[in-house]
Amino acid sequence: MATDQDLVVETVRDILGSHEPFVLTADRRWDEGLWTALAEAGLTGVGLPEEAGGSGGELADAVAIVRTLAAGAAAVPVAEQLLVAGPALVAADLELPSPEQATTFAIADSVTVHPVDDGDGPGRFTLSGTVPDVPWAGAASSVVVLAPAPAGLEGSVLALVDVSSLPATDAFNLAGEPRGTLVLDQVGAIGALLTPAQADEVRARYALARAVQLAAALEQVLAWTVQYAGERHQFGRPLGKFQAIQMELAEMAGEVTAVTALTDAATQALDRAENVVLAAAAAKVRAGAAVEVVARLAHQVHGAIGFTQEHKLHHLTRRLWSWRDEAGSELVWSRVLASGLLADGPDGLWPALTRVG
Amino acid sequence: MSNSLTLAPAPRSEAAEQVRAEVREFLAAELAAGTFRTHVDTWLSGVDPEFSKKLGERGWLGMTWPKKYGGHERSAMERYAVTEELLAAGAPVAAHWIADRQSGPNLLTYGTEKQRQEILPRIVAGECYFVIGMSEPDSGSDLASIRTKATRNGDGDWVVNGAKVWTSNAHHSHYGIVLVRTSPSDSANRHAGMSQLLIDLSLPGITINPIRILDGGHHFNEVVFDDVVVPGDMLLGEEGNGWHQVTAELAFERSGPERFLSTYPLVAEFGRRVAETGDPAQLAVLGRLSARVLALRQMSLRIAAALDRGELPNIPAALVKDVGTTFEADVIEEIRKVVDVTPSLDSPDPLARALAEAQLHQPGFTLRGGTNEILRGIVARGLGLR
Ligand SMILES: Cc1cc2nc3c(=O)[nH]c(=O)nc-3n(C[C@H](O)[C@H](O)[C@H](O)COP(=O)(O)OP(=O)(O)OC[C@H]3O[C@@H](n4cnc5c(N)ncnc54)[C@H](O)[C@@H]3O)c2cc1C
Repeated sequence: MATDQDLVVETVRDILGSHEPFVLTADRRWDEGLWTALAEAGLTGVGLPEEAGGSGGELADAVAIVRTLAAGAAAVPVAEQLLVAGPALVAADLELPSPEQATTFAIADSVTVHPVDDGDGPGRFTLSGTVPDVPWAGAASSVVVLAPAPAGLEGSVLALVDVSSLPATDAFNLAGEPRGTLVLDQVGAIGALLTPAQADEVRARYALARAVQLAAALEQVLAWTVQYAGERHQFGRPLGKFQAIQMELAEMAGEVTAVTALTDAATQALDRAENVVLAAAAAKVRAGAAVEVVARLAHQVHGAIGFTQEHKLHHLTRRLWSWRDEAGSELVWSRVLASGLLADGPDGLWPALTRVG
Repeated sequence: MSNSLTLAPAPRSEAAEQVRAEVREFLAAELAAGTFRTHVDTWLSGVDPEFSKKLGERGWLGMTWPKKYGGHERSAMERYAVTEELLAAGAPVAAHWIADRQSGPNLLTYGTEKQRQEILPRIVAGECYFVIGMSEPDSGSDLASIRTKATRNGDGDWVVNGAKVWTSNAHHSHYGIVLVRTSPSDSANRHAGMSQLLIDLSLPGITINPIRILDGGHHFNEVVFDDVVVPGDMLLGEEGNGWHQVTAELAFERSGPERFLSTYPLVAEFGRRVAETGDPAQLAVLGRLSARVLALRQMSLRIAAALDRGELPNIPAALVKDVGTTFEADVIEEIRKVVDVTPSLDSPDPLARALAEAQLHQPGFTLRGGTNEILRGIVARGLGLR
């Protein structure tokens, strides 16, 4: 029996089918056609409440969409929109832009925020400063930024900035995905004040979104590699019949299974509305650690053909190498995780581990 | 990815959290009373029959077994919570570990009613211990090459000759489930002709010789069978079905939290050190190790849930054991790179002691229960490569 989620995944796969991954360049920074097709099918609003203008559906559906697109190396800001920017706006009671236009997310630690009192009530700010590492800069029409609260206030401001007319610098991650910088000069925005805990949750969602993408891409790379090992013959037999290659593939499978188990657990915690900071931190750290093994061995098994731009492998391995360092590096999140686990004191580590999941 | 490796997430179990809290309270009281001291790898080395009996009294052995054999008919998830709490605390659980984890379930599946009635209630009470009699001097990874032989005598009893090695805790245990050849080996079908016998280790003709491990500890043994007469009704399961029975056991043997928590007491000690120093490099290492523990817990819990559903997830179990035991060993290197501590078994510093214990036990982790090379072969089969 097909569940709703299977149907969603089927639909995304069908749409993806006519959009082979391509090499991103400064001129071709995203797959606009794919985005339009997904938006027309209502898939860019899944998991966001209908009252807010979304398409409704469960978090699990949104995760399934993000996973499918990540495995397909789809060049669209769906993870940012469905798992980070959209839910953060909804949680902060801010108005969601139409899900048909792309909204991305960025951390803006060095932006200064001033409240504006223009008689239209609270929630209006001006933002000044640079926002680095904006995913899909130059492609998305708005960006939800998390910036420090105005002087004298604790916490952060979550603001929705219209960037359709703002230039972004050209910068790209290892996969060619845009990660430019935006310069904000007294830009007006609607926003909400978040407590430090709420702001931490938003950061954790961002990390978890990347972990979900990593998990899906890791699984896909393993599947490609297993398939290739069955097809490529040397010395009269398929590579997969050689024990050395079997060991490498089994090692990859162990890494992939560990990551999936942890990202599943973290998304379930998110679904239950539990504090997700430590679960997300763990998922991001574990996924990052798996990239080293999986990408290295996938290229080893694929031999020289996998080292070429002709072969599809690089579409995912380059993303793996990028995503693991985005939304907070392994170093950053491993410290967050350890500090959180030790919050109850030197003897609290084990109880904390069992609480995370 | 191949379905034979992926399992559904484990459901959350309130009952498991409840029993977890009870075990924690018990362990804290026992530690405070000084009845045990935390050590690394206690499921191999922490033999303490009194402690095992206490666990039996609390209802924490044979937890999932039917009540008619003294069991408690609880879920695999509840049992999981108990076992991981004991391991995380480094409690002395070696006496009963094999009997509770593996031999009891084996008897439930293959034992006769008489065997179950006689033995299972004693395991539940924490008073009856088992060994795994598989390996032999010339048969390790290639278990199908075993030579220990059992032949029927005129009375229908079995006469056993041969030798088993690496038999953990044979010198403290009451029974062994011993894999023997009951028909001559057949090169066309290497897995045929083997059977499992339930052998009382006090029978005449059995000699148990200690084999010491690197730190001088006596945990495993050579067990020699010299014309040992085993009653005919002590066959376990079907004659000739030994290979199948042994491989079915392995989901229990390979998937539990003991496959990644053997060195957890070292991690806990390191955690205490990091809490003191707040050193950023140490924090990062603790975070990385914790993420690995968390992933392994999820993997292992999924297997416990699959066992609850009546499945035998042998291939995912092999995978958990490979990833888990690799972690157990990695812990040592990760920690020693960021602490300036000289490992020593008799240091007053608990971190130095835990490091020393872990280091000296390390080679065993990726060997016992099937080596990681063999496990990866099983995983490769799960990936469709063999
Ligand atoms: C602490 C400890 C407790 C143990 N307790 C018990 C017990 O209670 N009962 C019991 O029956 N046994 C027990 N064992 C034995 C254990 O199961 C064996 O050590 C294990 O199966 C490996 O066999 P071996 O030591 O003979 O190594 P070998 O089989 O000789 O292997 C040596 C090396 O060669 C590799 N190798 C072998 N064959 C292959 C292959 N086909 N492909 C690739 N690599 C290969 C192995 O992976 C290993 O690295 C215990 C072992 C230890 C360390």
